[in-house]
Amino acid sequence: MEPSKAPQELLRVDKLRFYFGAHQVLKDVELPIWGNSITSLIGPSGCGKTTLLRCFNRMHDLYPNNHYEGRILMEGRNILDKNEDLIELRSQLGMVFQKPTPFPMSVYDNIAYGLKLKKITNKPLVRELVEKALRQANLWEEVKDRLRENALGLSGGQQQRLSIARSLAVSPAVLLFDEATSALDPISSAKIEEMMVELKKQVTMVVVTHNMQQAARVSDYTALMWLGELVEHGETTEIFTRPKKKMTERYVAGHFG
Amino acid sequence: MNTKKTANLIFFLMTGFGAASLVFMTAGILVTLVVESWPGIERFGVIKFLLSRDWNYAKESFGAARPLTGAILAAVMAVAMATPVALGVAIFLTELCPAKLKGSVALAIELLAAIPSVIYGLWGLFVLAPFLEKYFQPLVGKVLGDVPWIGGYFQTKMAGGLNLVTASMILGVMILPFIASLAREGFAQVPEALKESAYGLGATRWETIRAVVWPSAQKAVMGGIIMATGRALGETMAVAYVIGNRHGALESLFSPYVTVTSVIANEFNEAGPIQMSALFYLTLALFLANLLILSLAKRLLRRT
Ligand SMILES: Nc1ncnc2c1ncn2[C@@H]1O[C@H](COP(=O)(O)OP(=O)(O)O)[C@@H](O)[C@H]1O
Ligand SMILES: [Mg+2]
Repeated sequence: MEPSKAPQELLRVDKLRFYFGAHQVLKDVELPIWGNSITSLIGPSGCGKTTLLRCFNRMHDLYPNNHYEGRILMEGRNILDKNEDLIELRSQLGMVFQKPTPFPMSVYDNIAYGLKLKKITNKPLVRELVEKALRQANLWEEVKDRLRENALGLSGGQQQRLSIARSLAVSPAVLLFDEATSALDPISSAKIEEMMVELKKQVTMVVVTHNMQQAARVSDYTALMWLGELVEHGETTEIFTRPKKKMTERYVAGHFG
Repeated sequence: MNTKKTANLIFFLMTGFGAASLVFMTAGILVTLVVESWPGIERFGVIKFLLSRDWNYAKESFGAARPLTGAILAAVMAVAMATPVALGVAIFLTELCPAKLKGSVALAIELLAAIPSVIYGLWGLFVLAPFLEKYFQPLVGKVLGDVPWIGGYFQTKMAGGLNLVTASMILGVMILPFIASLAREGFAQVPEALKESAYGLGATRWETIRAVVWPSAQKAVMGGIIMATGRALGETMAVAYVIGNRHGALESLFSPYVTVTSVIANEFNEAGPIQMSALFYLTLALFLANLLILSLAKRLLRRT
């Protein structure tokens, strides 16, 4: 899993603090996200991985009393800025959740939905983009004859790839995965991992996982979090074989025994 | 092991008894209705009774056409008026309302449901009816009164403000909390992650509501609407106060009319034997109509 040749910094988390009301969950997090690569966020349950991930697409803004301090830079601008256009931002940073979230509509309409939001309505073009997204998500062969069926009829693994294809259809720059394979069987997970590696050509991925093997297998970079702080960040091979911090060594070892 | 078995048996008997008593009560009501309606059934037949527009005390000739039409029209109009408002309330409460306000708005809605229906009736009689007659009826008459064919139904032809529209509005207010709270439950059950997925694609609040919240909650909302229709069909006191209870052709929605329940409430005390039987017969017809609606609704909900 070699990182791509001249990696570009796509996002930079800069002294990020995040609060649920008065409860501070992220503590001065510093983290670069390199373009066209996969970055894993690992760490014990409750350390703030999901919270950090949801800062990138400002999901926290849907709920009251949350606030950010610090910056997340994307192409030089701070996406935590009050004036950031969240609709636009979220179409650039897609998100995949732990449980599949098919919309109650046909397979085809699920994928076309994001395009509709972007006012892409030219039928042949939509059809082409839907097929492309489904192919990218390794789902096309399985659903090409069921495009008009309700998406709720697909298997769990298929639904999750559908959710991914739906995000891909609007060609985001970044895909955020929050334990996206933890509810799936090993074969379905393997398909998704395979797809992620393929996808690096087009998108940058940030992947929250509690599965160390998965982090080691798919990611180019790994970041370990602990109680809301970022303990260590680096190339995955470094983190797993020559960690600089004692804590990283212990955590990685503990999960690999 | 034996005590466990006995406990199970007792539990089974208790719950079974509860369930059985409900079935028996319904069956009992049905039997009573049929028995009491029998003289009417013999005299007027079934089809003839349902289609007859008669309500003649002197000739002792009674038919269900008008009371049933009135009940159904009033219920349908009430549901048509209440549903959009109730959906608005439910969406506001689950999707838009700031958390601080939520409790009090929800409470206000629940309180509407706790007001006894007599109060609604009196309010309709003394407040709503005069108000509608003075301000609403002339307006509707002016706007729709000259439309060919149907214009006449929107003209005021009898004074008093007691009519089908007033009754439907009262009914609408009464069933609003019902639809709103069932719809709200439906909306609240939509998983957060599903909504976030829509937001995550760059959907606005409104687009999210349309694409995922509404379709996922549709069934619950339909269920609420159907149950509300049943309630509106059977509601008595409020309607009896404001419908005007006039057995005559329906010339305008702003004319007094009858519903099954208004006829029963107004005439039960002084009915002669055959009229009494006709009243029971009416009730039976309403009971069966309601049953029909509910079973149709169940089938509809199962299919989609
Ligand atoms: N909506 C919320 N309101 C308040 N506290 C929350 C909320 N969501 C998560 N937390 C808290 O934030 C901390 C980090 O949670 P989370 O980011 O979900 O951890 P992880 O994904 O690493 O398991 C936990 O202490 C959790 O209790
Ligand atoms: Mg988490």
